[in-house]
Amino acid sequence: MSIKKSTDWLRLDNAAKIFPAVTNKKETNTFRVQMELTEVVDSDLLQLATNNILNRFPMFKVRLKLGLFWNYFEKNERPFKIRPLTSKVNEKIIPKENNGYLLKVFYYNNLIVVEFFHSLTDGTGALIFLKALGYEYLTLKGYEITPDNLIVTKDSVPTKDESEDSQSVYYNPHNRKHVKEKKAYMVKGTPLEIGNMGLISGTLPTNKMLELARSHNCTVTEYMSAVLIQTIYNTQIKYRGHLRENQKPVKIFIPINMRKHFPSNTFRNFAIFLKTDLVMTRDDISFDEILTHVKESFSKGLDKDELIRKISENVAFEKNLFLRTAPYFIKLIALKIGFAMIGNSLITSTISNMGIVQLPESMQPYVKNVSAAIYSGKKNPVNIAVTSYKDKFNITFTRSIKETIIEREFFRHFTSLGFEVEIVSNYVEE
Amino acid sequence: MKYCDKCKVKVNTSQSYCPLCHQKLTGEPDLEQEFYPKNVTNIRKILPLTKKILLFITLSSIILILTINLLTYENTPYLWSLIPIGAILYFWSIVRYGILSKQNIAYRLALLTALLIIILNLIDQNFTTVEEAQGWALNYVTPLALFACNLAISFIIWIKRINYREYLIYLITIVVFSVVPVILYYTQVITILWPSIIAFSFAIFILLFIIFFYPKSIKEEIKKRLHI
Repeated sequence: MSIKKSTDWLRLDNAAKIFPAVTNKKETNTFRVQMELTEVVDSDLLQLATNNILNRFPMFKVRLKLGLFWNYFEKNERPFKIRPLTSKVNEKIIPKENNGYLLKVFYYNNLIVVEFFHSLTDGTGALIFLKALGYEYLTLKGYEITPDNLIVTKDSVPTKDESEDSQSVYYNPHNRKHVKEKKAYMVKGTPLEIGNMGLISGTLPTNKMLELARSHNCTVTEYMSAVLIQTIYNTQIKYRGHLRENQKPVKIFIPINMRKHFPSNTFRNFAIFLKTDLVMTRDDISFDEILTHVKESFSKGLDKDELIRKISENVAFEKNLFLRTAPYFIKLIALKIGFAMIGNSLITSTISNMGIVQLPESMQPYVKNVSAAIYSGKKNPVNIAVTSYKDKFNITFTRSIKETIIEREFFRHFTSLGFEVEIVSNYVEE
Repeated sequence: MKYCDKCKVKVNTSQSYCPLCHQKLTGEPDLEQEFYPKNVTNIRKILPLTKKILLFITLSSIILILTINLLTYENTPYLWSLIPIGAILYFWSIVRYGILSKQNIAYRLALLTALLIIILNLIDQNFTTVEEAQGWALNYVTPLALFACNLAISFIIWIKRINYREYLIYLITIVVFSVVPVILYYTQVITILWPSIIAFSFAIFILLFIIFFYPKSIKEEIKKRLHI
């Protein structure tokens, strides 16, 4: 019995704690990353690769267990099974049907798709896993490829800082003021059947995107946020500003990868968000005005003190003595009520830019594209995930409503500027 | 690749209309298959018929018993129907949490034992009319049920060595609860000593066994379950 190590179980990280309490069929808190290869995926090899890679990622090879005060991750020794992809996008992961695992690996034609429950990790962690999985698969396939320090290979050793809860490391107890927020504008639409999620993804040329953003003196994320706000404004708010629900500000929720701001090497959750916050009751709001506002929100939100404040606010909440010492089922009730009351009503829509995906030179010929998708729930029916791989800039919309007007207007904005856009959809329409 | 001349976008599909504006696409598809699998409509799970029938019989018998009880209330002025209703509910718990549950066996045993103790104590408190017999649930059932549960979980752990760590926490819980009857004896709530002593000494024996032979696991297990 002496061989048991302390790595057998993990505390949930700060961000992860909220998700199990507030997840249901509508709010699945699941997201996917996918790799499109140049050839059809061999499922047996993928299964083998997944087994190898899961052993390298002990923080993902876990299941969620109930404790008296908090739940925790325990090492999962049961077999992990990959499965063929269905039309369902980011469906709720039910651990019971998945041998306890909180992630799923799918294959379909040329696609390798990995879906994660958000408690495990954020987009960056998921992409690290996907890259490792793709690399392992291609190696097993027999191709001569090298990791070039861009890939976590199965032979490297898991380190402690990879499973660190970075928020609890970089917080500052003296800078943790709680800021109250107003409720946000909600995108309207006819809900799809529960469990169905529409996915429409557009691929644009990366260099033209970068040029466009540069010509406006902003980043691509800022530019896309502005386009999204303008689209929502044009299609749902303009000339209707006198209606009461339209007087709420449009708030775009943008997760920021904190690993770029702090020297963290964690594979688990480490993202803080910023929000734009624009009341759009006037009838003549121009794109430039929106863009200026977005840029302001970004520079305010990316301020180091503000980032630390947000981290500390989260950590302070978790370290609250009353909350900590309450039994878990009481916490669960409190979190559920709290989330039902505010939770998602503070967000209009999310743009999650997972950034540039870099693969080793030798691996690139086998990989056509890498993209992502996040879930869309009841209150935030249209969300965007963004990745870019080589010359492909992927903007993936997911929606929980039937209407595709926002997607249409969003992409028409770019086609009207002369962009070549290639659309893929899962054609979920009802 | 197909093309939508309204949206001015290329669409990678074999479908005939544009996903953005639902207008007709022009051109020929590149792929034989769709990029994503075709959408299938949700199939609703129907409650299996046997389960429905059983549930129906259960509910109607509960109503029947209650009705008879209320109709004959003048002759027997107490709610005796609660006893069979409790038994029926306990039967359902056995099926639902004992047999059909996928939780580990130690959890199921501990849960069912706790339920049984609660139900029998309630019956004892409310329905035992003979003076000398009062307290039978606390005197005999509680300590002996704990003893039996303790024995069963230890036995299972001993046989299924692979997963013993999962079961430890339930064993420890039962062991801790086994102390309660002895305390109750010294506070003179219960009057018969021997069942409590049996449960208590066996619990101490198991506890010592764990402490001597699995000291690290028990520490880890408690840390894991009780971290704040």
